[in-house]
Amino acid sequence: MTTTTTEGVQQTGTPQQAPRSGIPPWLRKVASISEVWTFVILVALVAVFSTAAPGKFFTAYDLTQIAVNAAIYLVLGVGMTFVVITSGIDLSIGSVLVLAAVAAGEYNLHNGGPDANWTTVAVCIAIALVVGTLWGALQGRLVATGKVPPLIVTLGGLGTALGIAELITGGQDPAGAAASNLQNTLGYGKLFGIPWLVILAAAVTLVFGLVLTRTRFGTYTLAIGSNAAAGQRAGIRVGRHLVKVYALMGLLAGLGAVMWLASFGTTSIAGHSSDNLKVITAVVLGGTSLFGGRGSVLGTVIGVFIPAVLTTGLIVVGVQQYWQDVAVGIVLVAAVYVDQVRRKTRERV
Amino acid sequence: MSRTPTRRHLLAVAVATVALATTAACSSSGSTASGSGSGSSAAAGGTSGKKIALITGVKSDPFYITMTCAAQDEAKAKGLQFIADGSAQWDVSVQRPLIDSVAASQPNGLMISPVDTNALTPSLKQIQGAGTKIALVDTSVTDPSVGISRISSDNEKGGQVAADALAKQMGDKGSAIVISVKPGISTTDDRIKGFTEEMTKYPNIKVLPTLYDNDEPATAASQIQSTLAAHPDLGGVFAGNTNTGQGIATGLSQAGKQGQVKVAAFDAEPDEVAALKNGSLQVLVAQDPAAIGREAVDQLAAAFNGQPVQASVGTTMVAITKDNINDPGVSKYVYKSGC
Repeated sequence: MTTTTTEGVQQTGTPQQAPRSGIPPWLRKVASISEVWTFVILVALVAVFSTAAPGKFFTAYDLTQIAVNAAIYLVLGVGMTFVVITSGIDLSIGSVLVLAAVAAGEYNLHNGGPDANWTTVAVCIAIALVVGTLWGALQGRLVATGKVPPLIVTLGGLGTALGIAELITGGQDPAGAAASNLQNTLGYGKLFGIPWLVILAAAVTLVFGLVLTRTRFGTYTLAIGSNAAAGQRAGIRVGRHLVKVYALMGLLAGLGAVMWLASFGTTSIAGHSSDNLKVITAVVLGGTSLFGGRGSVLGTVIGVFIPAVLTTGLIVVGVQQYWQDVAVGIVLVAAVYVDQVRRKTRERV
Repeated sequence: MSRTPTRRHLLAVAVATVALATTAACSSSGSTASGSGSGSSAAAGGTSGKKIALITGVKSDPFYITMTCAAQDEAKAKGLQFIADGSAQWDVSVQRPLIDSVAASQPNGLMISPVDTNALTPSLKQIQGAGTKIALVDTSVTDPSVGISRISSDNEKGGQVAADALAKQMGDKGSAIVISVKPGISTTDDRIKGFTEEMTKYPNIKVLPTLYDNDEPATAASQIQSTLAAHPDLGGVFAGNTNTGQGIATGLSQAGKQGQVKVAAFDAEPDEVAALKNGSLQVLVAQDPAAIGREAVDQLAAAFNGQPVQASVGTTMVAITKDNINDPGVSKYVYKSGC
């Protein structure tokens, strides 16, 4: 899957670029540098930490833990990749996750609490997904037809969704928000030693990685981000497509809420204020352009794992944790700098 | 490149706005409740009709709710008008606008839990300069000229209580670590100091460097798992607060180490008590927030009447374990989630 995704992006990316500039193959290679470059950083980090802490860092246990902790951010990152490719942004994901978790949690609370049966669990999951999707679709509609910039729409959404969640709960995490049925399976359960959370995140990544590279939905997403007006003239219903993209982000935030309830057993209303920045950082680290039109799900996977590996690695090696913020900050700025340079090169051609 | 910082700025503004909007709703309901209270008791002499405000660190935290409830009852008994408000998040940029809005209403007394040891000092000095008497509750600021009285749990003592209880649970051996919220908060810094110093009495226990999770359970979960990878002999964790405790419990469950690694947490919030009963936490160090609230109102009332004021008041702490939780002398320390 690894190589096909990368190639797929270039293939779908090329048709929009070719008529404009006739990009030669060597430049196409340059265009993929950011992804390669961040992957090299990831490999280098793993190598450094494995050498510095032999037998402690690159172990099955440790890799599993890194993957478990990255799972929710990965699911959110996949949705964010689509949004950012349309040259949009979604700042509201942390709040939407909380709202979906609260809605599901409240239902669970009044239908059995921690001992709730499987029917309740299924309804809770459905509630979380529907709340997330509807919220995302609403935001998408405002972006598409209201012509309000996504930054503003989702900034408003960030406050509103969190506010509603706080109104519902009175600002406190309700006790008994997650059923032990859900926690013991999705939360802590494993299949052949691999946690279900990781399997779910991997499946989501795989499916939407293919959606982006292999389907009309993905092609439209890339085309709109590249040039929305041209897409419109080519017959893409840009507005309707944007609603779908933001709804997808909402759906995945709802899925994130289910995963959060499963692993943490509580809604953690106050614990999601920086989810958006973490996820946007991951997407940008992965080489998706903030200006739209280019990006890949594989890149986002790398982008999610760089901070995750840094966090774990620095603790395992025993370095003061503040270095982690410094390191992620530097890598982020460098990644966007490379993106800018590449844009200039492309325009010059 | 310049777009990302702009977003962050906007984000901060938005968070602050939301916080203001939500807290404004709360304070109005608070004043209505106390308004009827002040009308009913007229026999309180010099304090009658005086207005006091309470600004807590995190509005929805049962610790502060318990404190607010006790302070409200005490204020009612003394015939004081009482309003309460609190930050939506533990954040200077969220609490400062609250302080400014309360300052504008010029209360006679202000009880506040500052969320930073230094950053809020100028705002508080300004309020104090305008004639409002300030009592610092729970957290405090480094500048000693702020406030007529400082009422808090003896946090260093609390750290010691946690260390002793955790060492006992660990069987006096292995590595121990503190995971806290952020550096620069007076209460948690003191707890860590007390904990670390007390642990030196147990030569077989090695204390690892403190980690900070920014109040995010997901971060705490990842940190505890990383620590387990680096130190397989990890036997005990001291959690800075509830969110951290939840994150640690999740991290340990996912690593299959629940119960093997003993967890001590501060406070006795309802979900922490549930966690103690189901075995994901082993020790709770409970403070007495109700006593803090009552004592602060008493000190302010004394100041209004020109009576002597105690500059520093320490309240008691108790270690709760599964064995003593049903003891009424201990269970009264469990925090409330509503008045």
